[in-house]
Amino acid sequence: MDIRIFKKKDGGIVQLIDKEDMTEWPIELPLIFIEYIRTKQLDNYGSAKKDVETYLDEIMIDIAIPRLVSVLEGDDNEKIILALTRIEEISKKDIEMAKPIKKYLNYLLEKNDKQIVKLAQAISKNFESAERKKELAKKRKIMREKENLFLESKINAEEYAKARKDYLTLKE
Amino acid sequence: MAKKQNNNVYDLRAAKDLYFEYLERGKEKKEIDLPPDTVKIDDLNKKEMLDRSYKLVDRVLEKIYTTGRPSIELPSRSATNIIWDEENDLLLLGTQIMEKQFHSLTSVADITRLMRVLEVVYELLNEDIHATKREVFYTDVNLFQEQKNSDKSIEDVATMLYTTRNSTHIVAAPKGTCVGRLRIRDRNDIIDLEGLGSGGWTISPMLDNIEIIESDAEFILVIEKDAAMMRLAEARFWRKYPCILLTAQGVGNVAVRMFLKRLSKELNLPVFSLVDSDPYGHYIHSVYLRGSKRLSYESPFLATPNIKLLGVLTRDLDKYKIPQEVRIKMNKQDEKRTKDLLNEDFIKKNKAWEEDLKLALKLKIKAEIQAFASHGFKFLTDEYLPEKLTTGDWI
Repeated sequence: MDIRIFKKKDGGIVQLIDKEDMTEWPIELPLIFIEYIRTKQLDNYGSAKKDVETYLDEIMIDIAIPRLVSVLEGDDNEKIILALTRIEEISKKDIEMAKPIKKYLNYLLEKNDKQIVKLAQAISKNFESAERKKELAKKRKIMREKENLFLESKINAEEYAKARKDYLTLKE
Repeated sequence: MAKKQNNNVYDLRAAKDLYFEYLERGKEKKEIDLPPDTVKIDDLNKKEMLDRSYKLVDRVLEKIYTTGRPSIELPSRSATNIIWDEENDLLLLGTQIMEKQFHSLTSVADITRLMRVLEVVYELLNEDIHATKREVFYTDVNLFQEQKNSDKSIEDVATMLYTTRNSTHIVAAPKGTCVGRLRIRDRNDIIDLEGLGSGGWTISPMLDNIEIIESDAEFILVIEKDAAMMRLAEARFWRKYPCILLTAQGVGNVAVRMFLKRLSKELNLPVFSLVDSDPYGHYIHSVYLRGSKRLSYESPFLATPNIKLLGVLTRDLDKYKIPQEVRIKMNKQDEKRTKDLLNEDFIKKNKAWEEDLKLALKLKIKAEIQAFASHGFKFLTDEYLPEKLTTGDWI
């Protein structure tokens, strides 16, 4: 087993597993690993952050995507179901980690296997719901800003009502 | 005394120097060359294990066909066949071979147990599952009678196949815990050892499922006692000083020692031990360092020859002004154990270690890690450990 070493300017070091060791992993795991390091660890890496980011991109291009695509575009429905089941679980917990699969969803929804379609639908639904949550948070922020401006009499009631209506429509 | 940097944080200079030295050395990745008069043991995967088992059974069958008196040969694990390899600083198994006869009244029970364990190993490998030593005992209580008999047969089967016990898929019950700046993979899951609370991760005996995937630690600290581990975990010691903490609650079992070996080898990190200042604490350190006599055949896979004894040293008791009332008087057993340790070749070769043990014997005192609490609960984490790691005050 090999380790990639990234040096920080303060003398610290970050060690990450070599991408070649990921070729034996379950196909969805390199993606989880990339997202995990990006979301949970990267900010702690100080001056090594940029180099680690480049390495994560390398893993994505050389390992994660080719492996995932080879399964999703392949004919082995059992393997596809296994991968989609894990990705569906991941998408429920953290939608960002499932992002790389998004562009394959339409292709999967046209497959002739009920279970594959069902899983692809569930993942799509999780993406939609995450997208909606994001949009709602954005509108809520705008509405609060408008609310403050309205209370300070900097905008009129009509403008405030419009922001409120946009927010409520999306919420429903 | 070492100087603190800003925010009451020490710059662990000496530990860092060791860390860079190991990283440089790690690039060479030298394999251990065992002396010619020792047995070579391999860590095997499932297929290799099955191959070796088939070959062994074939040899027994051949003996049945040709002589009608089958037997099994395996390296002797008696004290006379345990060799200290000075160059690699390891306890190893010599080349003395013993023969167990199927047709001898003295060894019939022994060999029947051996074959039963071999059968269990075969089942475990085929199903790709693991069993604990206790479970193996319960597969045939009438035959094994006591667990020590099945445990012995398990070790015999491993030596007979010239492999590690872990390769047989028979494991000890989980015992140790690990916490700190480390991320691992356990089959389909990524486990963050910083995010498991102060309890940490229970070191899995099924280490073949575990892979080290990320770390930004700069050293590893092995702690003898749970209470000290709890103190460090509660202080989130690894946040201030990037490290991995590990405890086995006493002598490290196979899983703990193997995991430590892997951490040290794969991450090239310096390893330090923090044990009680007593002969048992020093013995625990020695087992991490060069292996135990009982499992000497596995030493190359279990020992961490670069581990340093950070403390608690006898000389620390005066240096850190540990009050007399928290020092404990050695009893006869302690004195005997200290003398036994002083007779070991590996201690005689390490002058600093020998001196510290001689000092303990002269003063006839011992002390627990908790003795530092006499200076306040945070003394261990905020003063003692950082200062030792800054000044390089270890053996």
